[in-house]
Amino acid sequence: MPHMGTSVVEGTIIGWSKQVGDHVDLDETLCEVTTDKVDTECPSPAAGVLAEILVDVGETVDVGTVVARIEVEGGVATPATPAGPVAPARAEAAAPASNGAAAANGNGAAGPRVSPVVARMAAVHDLDLAQIPGTGRGGRVTKKDVLAFLDRAPEPEERPLHSESPYRPDDAPPAPAPSPPRDDLGGVPQPLSRIRQAIGRAMLASQLTTATCHTVVECDMSRVENRRRDLGLTALPLVSAAVVETLRGFGQLNATLDGTTITTYERVHLGIAVSLGDDGLIVPVIHDAQDLSPQGLGTRIKDLARRARAGQLVPDDVQGATFTITNPGAFGATIATPIINAPQVAILDLEAIIRRPVVITDDDNNESIAIRPMVNLVLGWDHRAIDGVYAAQFLTALRRRLEAAG
Amino acid sequence: MAPTTYLQAIGAGLREEMRRDERVFVMGEDVGAFGGAFKVTDGLVDEFGPARVRDTPIAEAAIVGTAVGAAIAGLRPVCEMQFADFVACGFDQLVNVAGKMHYRLGLAVPLVVRLPVGGGFSGGPFHSQNPEAWFMHAPGLKVVAPSTPADARGLLLSAIRDPNPVVFLEHKHLYRRVKEELPEVASPTPMTARIARAGDDLTIVAYGAMVHAALEAAEALGADGDGASVEVLDLRSLVPLDEEAILASVRKTSKVLVVDEANATCAAGAQVAALVADRAFEDLDGPVRRIATPDIPIPFSPPLEQAALPSASTIAEAARELLDY
Repeated sequence: MPHMGTSVVEGTIIGWSKQVGDHVDLDETLCEVTTDKVDTECPSPAAGVLAEILVDVGETVDVGTVVARIEVEGGVATPATPAGPVAPARAEAAAPASNGAAAANGNGAAGPRVSPVVARMAAVHDLDLAQIPGTGRGGRVTKKDVLAFLDRAPEPEERPLHSESPYRPDDAPPAPAPSPPRDDLGGVPQPLSRIRQAIGRAMLASQLTTATCHTVVECDMSRVENRRRDLGLTALPLVSAAVVETLRGFGQLNATLDGTTITTYERVHLGIAVSLGDDGLIVPVIHDAQDLSPQGLGTRIKDLARRARAGQLVPDDVQGATFTITNPGAFGATIATPIINAPQVAILDLEAIIRRPVVITDDDNNESIAIRPMVNLVLGWDHRAIDGVYAAQFLTALRRRLEAAG
Repeated sequence: MAPTTYLQAIGAGLREEMRRDERVFVMGEDVGAFGGAFKVTDGLVDEFGPARVRDTPIAEAAIVGTAVGAAIAGLRPVCEMQFADFVACGFDQLVNVAGKMHYRLGLAVPLVVRLPVGGGFSGGPFHSQNPEAWFMHAPGLKVVAPSTPADARGLLLSAIRDPNPVVFLEHKHLYRRVKEELPEVASPTPMTARIARAGDDLTIVAYGAMVHAALEAAEALGADGDGASVEVLDLRSLVPLDEEAILASVRKTSKVLVVDEANATCAAGAQVAALVADRAFEDLDGPVRRIATPDIPIPFSPPLEQAALPSASTIAEAARELLDY
């Protein structure tokens, strides 16, 4: 069982891509593994023939457990093989982590090789190299591969993380699916997907252990809107930066609560909820968000969202959050009551930004009605950790920061 | 007009410059009555007389030293070393006297030293060397190395007209092997690189005889199953080195194989490799690879010599490996 992150201690095999007797290439997918955090494919650490499967589908084992054995080709003649009574030599398939993050590449170095030009092109075009099939030595992604990829696939339009208006044209009706078996009432019983089960467990656990309350503040986003246009960002990175700044003065909200122990943090590890569409929801984490500019946060959010949707997050990407932002406003909602991602103590919900008439007061206390892009900032918070005044103070401080942005 | 060989092109260039400019004269061992060991200067003495086609003693230091004096005095000497290997005897006059004259005394030294270089014909260790790196390392000298008849003639014109001492490397193996139609009127070839063959997948940087080996390799690679598109860059001039042409090609192909016929250590190709690593790092899609003659004297024995010198097949092999990288 590969090592998949600092706090992942076990994993469950959810499928074998190879059967005993099958040939497997170096780095070819051997099996699929799930943890509480993510599903991931395990590349083979060696080329050879799958000799033995030691852990069946559905079994959960500790990290480091041998899950299979691979008979290495020409193992008998390989001088590097330790002397032993068994021939041919056998490589123990404690397979490395997903995404090739620690995949052996033949020279003992970690990770697939990336040439300077490929690294530069990936940075310029904001590409995820794991998405690009490599034709170079050992599956290396070559410049040609990148060019072919760019040729073939124009960069997909980033799914909006923000919207001006809640109104959307209706989606095209989905194509009729082949009719599945129905019960007596015509219903279609199906098992919940693993990710839905995991989300359900986490949400229910939060509801059972936290004393969740919600507080709402309205915020004028005029300046944020102007600034984000200047920077070419969505509103989310600017709000995230403001949240990170504001949390400096509200340490009790940048915290985790475990029973009777509250742990507060100076560093902000910011969870960003990413919808996977019908496949559920995942909350990748921007560690040390306090070190990043709004532009830096924007880049990280895009990267995490893309990798989340491509199923390429590694467990470290989704753990260790100290505060979470959820942003369903893109889909038109104006208010919601988010569930805290326990053991964190708060979650900020950024709803749709909508142009509304509001009363504004000028410096001479003259009042007028103006059209302003308004948003509801909803804070879900754990009454075990803080009280409502603190939540309101936080939201007001955040609102002031956002309204002054510019 | 019949195609002109590389050797004839050098002779033609000398003749044209001597006709054009009476300050130009040639000197060397057996260049007059005998017409030169390789017959490059054949017939010149008949046209220009022994004052401008001067036979010298077997004393390279004296040949180069005399040329330095003549150049300072306003003439345009073109000296021939019978074999490039022998220039070692004239090294001090060339490197220390000619090369530094302008820096020390502000005097131009417009001389050309012709060096018949290269192996491939069982000439052995004294008659097969490629000593260009010695002179590349010495400030004040220019170093050119044509690979075609047209460039041999054109670069010779440029070298003779240049106010600096120029080391002119002419490859013996090309003397009678390459030929082409030359334009009636010669024009100087700029001391810049030339794309001998355009391609997109890999750049082979070469000069002199290795350009032809590289072209042969490039053809073979193009005919391979995957049909690689290989660019061959003919440096033509080693000092000055056409850095922009090298970088432009590497930026296009992202892979570079540098070929030297000279011994590997500190060779011209090492300079090219260093340049690419320094200034095109972010354009590289593979390691900078070099092929050169190992650091050994050139063997007499034909099979040993063949094993030592880079060839079209060793170049193609290295190129394939780099293409597959």
